Amino acid sequence: MTITHHPSDATLAAFASGTLDEARALVVATHLSLCAECRKAVRAFEHVGGALLDDLQPAEISAGALERAMAQLGAPEAISPVPRDQRLKNLPAPLSQYELGSWRWIGRGVQYRSVPVSSAEGGRVFMLKAAPGTRLPRHRHTGTEWTCVFDGAFQHDFGRYGPGDFDEADETMEHNPVVEDGVPCICLVALKGSIELQGWMGRLLQPLIRI
Amino acid sequence: MRDDDEAVIGENPAGWITAIAARQDRAAFAALFAFYAPRIKTMLMRAGASADAGEDFAQEALLTIWRKAAYFDPDRASASAWVYTIARNLRIDRLRRDKRSKLHALYEMVEAEEPDRPDVALSSAERDERVCAALSQIPEEQARVLRLSFFEERAHGEIAEKLNLPLGTVKSRLRLAMSRLRNLLGDLS
Repeated sequence: MTITHHPSDATLAAFASGTLDEARALVVATHLSLCAECRKAVRAFEHVGGALLDDLQPAEISAGALERAMAQLGAPEAISPVPRDQRLKNLPAPLSQYELGSWRWIGRGVQYRSVPVSSAEGGRVFMLKAAPGTRLPRHRHTGTEWTCVFDGAFQHDFGRYGPGDFDEADETMEHNPVVEDGVPCICLVALKGSIELQGWMGRLLQPLIRI
Repeated sequence: MRDDDEAVIGENPAGWITAIAARQDRAAFAALFAFYAPRIKTMLMRAGASADAGEDFAQEALLTIWRKAAYFDPDRASASAWVYTIARNLRIDRLRRDKRSKLHALYEMVEAEEPDRPDVALSSAERDERVCAALSQIPEEQARVLRLSFFEERAHGEIAEKLNLPLGTVKSRLRLAMSRLRNLLGDLS
């Protein structure tokens, strides 16, 4: 898998510092599960976090805190692999944490599948499956739209996005993705804010996309 | 390479963690507690927790370190980076507003990915030196924004407000700091 488009350094650092909401963290984690280069970058930023932690001004700890901790020391854990849901073996590992909705059509050539992330932070996540040659409506964002491609590819004004590629779109961008010929394009999308669709097809799809 | 069984108390955090993993060394735990509990408490208080909550959290983080010590791999991470990830994951778990959030599990899943071989073989202490050297090359104005974004869970807009800077300046300082650090440290693991 040749990955061309990666999350920005600021996004990888935000992931490493644990400050992304669940919706966006899931799309980044999905990219990480496919991209060794970005896993390395996250680890580098975790080392930065470690150095900054070492540098923090120590707070005062109350008397007896160590003794109370010592009294609770039990048997350490043996290393065990993280269990993985085998039903989802064709999907990137992070998605196996979720009860995915079933695929449903939301327009010509386009299917949608919900991913139930916690809604506390206001983000939404879904998978899209678009048939080869599908032209998605031209749209603009009022927030951010982060996408990780699993299969197939799409192109828009900012390049070609194939398996593993990560697209970090924000309110400054307007684009109309076109799915390449060949296989359907399957991707995971995190939306924060809303998207504004332009054109008659967009107006048609708008109520459906506002999931 | 150091022989883990020879790790002596007072040597270094990586030695303490490997001593806990190798022989449930309580003196090593006490040393680790003395160094990290006060810092982890500060980390939580910076993110908005009260002193009491910060201390409970530090206690729980150290107990987690004891339980998970076998997962520490000095070939992949420095002790401070590993402790940081434990504290970070716990913070995510504790501060989540929605109990259904799977964020914590996502992090554990990413960490469990097949280990990539590090580009360079470094000891924990050598890694720390590399990271400190890299951080010392970041201008103070960028480092300040970096610390706020790592520990205070502040959105860029809040950092801008706190430092009385335009949002664009905060974003560009962060971007500069991150790409510099990545260039300097990308081969760490």
